[in-house]
Amino acid sequence: MTATRRPPPLARPATRRADRMEWLVSTDHKRIGLLTIGTGLVLFYAFGALAMTMRTQLARPDQHILTNQQYNQIMTLHGTGMIALVVTPFALGLGVYLVPLMIGAPTIAAPRATLLGYWLYVGGAIAIILGCAVPGGAQSGWWGYLPLSNATYSPGTGANLWVTGVSLAACGMLIQSGTVAWTILTRRAPGMTMLHLPVFVWTELVTCFMGLTAFPSLLSAMGLLAWNRVHPANINFWNLLYEHMFWFYGHPVVYIMFFPFVGCVAEVLATFSGRRNFAYKSTVLALLAFAAGSMAVWGHHMFTSGQVVNDYYSLTSNFLAIPAGVEYFALLGTIIGGRLRYPTAMLFGLAFIPQFLIGGLTGILVGSPAIDYQMNNSYFIVGHFHYTLLAGSIFGLFAGVYYWLPKATGIMFSERLGKLHFVLMTIGTNVTFLPMFALGMLGMPRRVATYPANEGLNALNLTATIGAFIIGCSLLVFVYNLYISNYRKVPAPPDPWQGHTLEWATSSPPPRFNFTAEYPVPRIRSFAPLLDIRERASQAAAGGGDRAEPGQDGAGDGGAGHGGAGEEAP
Amino acid sequence: MQFQRAFSYAFGTETKIAEVVFGLVLLAMLVAFGQSAYRRRKRMEPSRRAERNVLELCYVGLLAVVVAFDVFVSFSANAEWWHDPRPDMTVRVTGFQWCWDFRYLGTPVNVSARCAGGPIPTLVLPAGRPVRLQITSDDVIHGFWIPGLRLKLDAYPDHVNTVSFTPPKGDWVGHCSQLCGLYHSEMMFRVRALPAAAFDRWVHAHGGPGRLVSTR
Repeated sequence: MTATRRPPPLARPATRRADRMEWLVSTDHKRIGLLTIGTGLVLFYAFGALAMTMRTQLARPDQHILTNQQYNQIMTLHGTGMIALVVTPFALGLGVYLVPLMIGAPTIAAPRATLLGYWLYVGGAIAIILGCAVPGGAQSGWWGYLPLSNATYSPGTGANLWVTGVSLAACGMLIQSGTVAWTILTRRAPGMTMLHLPVFVWTELVTCFMGLTAFPSLLSAMGLLAWNRVHPANINFWNLLYEHMFWFYGHPVVYIMFFPFVGCVAEVLATFSGRRNFAYKSTVLALLAFAAGSMAVWGHHMFTSGQVVNDYYSLTSNFLAIPAGVEYFALLGTIIGGRLRYPTAMLFGLAFIPQFLIGGLTGILVGSPAIDYQMNNSYFIVGHFHYTLLAGSIFGLFAGVYYWLPKATGIMFSERLGKLHFVLMTIGTNVTFLPMFALGMLGMPRRVATYPANEGLNALNLTATIGAFIIGCSLLVFVYNLYISNYRKVPAPPDPWQGHTLEWATSSPPPRFNFTAEYPVPRIRSFAPLLDIRERASQAAAGGGDRAEPGQDGAGDGGAGHGGAGEEAP
Repeated sequence: MQFQRAFSYAFGTETKIAEVVFGLVLLAMLVAFGQSAYRRRKRMEPSRRAERNVLELCYVGLLAVVVAFDVFVSFSANAEWWHDPRPDMTVRVTGFQWCWDFRYLGTPVNVSARCAGGPIPTLVLPAGRPVRLQITSDDVIHGFWIPGLRLKLDAYPDHVNTVSFTPPKGDWVGHCSQLCGLYHSEMMFRVRALPAAAFDRWVHAHGGPGRLVSTR
């Protein structure tokens, strides 16, 4: 509030205990972003531990380590938590941290609202965890379908807390969607036109658009559910409407949990291929078409309800394969013709390509009703969406984390531990989720607390459980990497990877207002301004006097004062 | 059997397309690795070509054709799945927490059980004779799933989902596929399709008329 509490404009105050408290109320987008991602990461471990508890129960048939009630509560918390409290906040938290840096803005638009978004999310997390943890708590899955979730079939405060928590977290994410979109639309540096936005920023923009349309639908659904819990009359009247409202949020949110990570992968692939993103304009168009189309496919979650127009939703769902295919084309076109380097971030980015593809292709399969009538609510679906969310989005997240952590912390992280993390996680992910496709084909329903011994499901389930524990080990390696690298404190230069986008032009970590006289915003001529500078420099060095234009441009660059950034590039 | 036919057709065709796509993407990645190694050895800079508009357009066209084919497969499989033969008899399937109730309409025959911890019910059908199922629920939403027949429809309270088909001879296991509370995982049933004469004997033994389907 007062002028004395506000940090000086150009440098952070020295770290003290009071400064640590200031983290919690800071309006610096970088701190809010790191808080959001950090909270998400802690919860990712917590809800991941729940997944391993469930896999332990399912390792053998007819096991009752957990009671059915406990299993359903844990399954509900794992599902709701991973979606509402982990991957969605990761998606928007990355935007809060990175977008202002990547568009050359000193701050995020509406920083206090962004901070409010974070705290609403924290409030939502507390309510959801309590709601699922109390005895007899929420146990109707992350959809909370009516009438199972109403006061007759799920009595008690647990489910009420769950509704409250989901609504709070949705409000938080809605606000952050708004502020990130506003930032992109109004706070771009001079020269940063819409078609000079990095691919990651475009993915964030369409993510925010989907958030702004999807979260209100979730809030309406939660309102309907809350009303139903208070007034149990009208039972069964709203069942299908609730499904529609829920999936009108539920399908776009799938892409909210995907786009920013495909954006991370696009940036990582471009940087470590030493070449700008291929087919940029097509990618932008594809993202916009994808986001628009994502609002028209929700009914494919409801084929088995027997109450939707199958052909319509099958048509729109299949249509999405076109923009998705264009995005893949762009990713592959970027690495083809590049000179690849293979640090940990790149490995995660490369693994994303085939792994997410498995999730995407199986998704197209179940977009056909005749296939969905077998696969819906079976382990095939569990395998499908874990390939998109874990093998896809979380791999994209780790690509981004290994890529941007030096920028955010000013510390280089251990590549050897990073690669160990990568290898273990890739093995674990595929060992866990590939068998699930077969389990679904064989007839294992989703969300079962146990299964009979005589249906041929035993070996595949045991394999999946072993894989889950390998993923667990890989995540411990990541924590150890954070710990040991923070202990060693190898300082990170401003641009350790020869990045293409503006965040690499400033210091690591960036100063309070992102760019300073020492680290100015370089001239922006395309969506890869730092690569432009390097390319012009190498052209000028190689070409000498035989071509006039590059030389002239190079002189212009010097005059524009990007020199500091240019020199920082190793 | 229409569900199996529709499933095999759609799944077989679309899986083949998916496999080709997956193979092409892996191939493209291998090309990228190979080219990269070549560039490194020859000390060549990465390519600066960031757009190939004609190629991109052709690619979108190709994608659209593949997607259109996929949509065609999906539509025709869906039509096949919902093919509606005139039924010889109707069974009302009612899900409840946590088991199933099978009522043979027009007869006093009724099969039910308790599932959770106890015996599970058997849905007996006449093999080779078209039957209609009316699927509904007494309480929450359940899912009526016979994995071996590729048949699944949700059971809603205050709503009836209807499907007709001609079961082949055989035995299958059925599950509840929609989370329905505590004993969701134990809400199973058996399906047995008997030859028409045997089916009629079964109906008769359970208090039904002497002949239900074998005379037609």
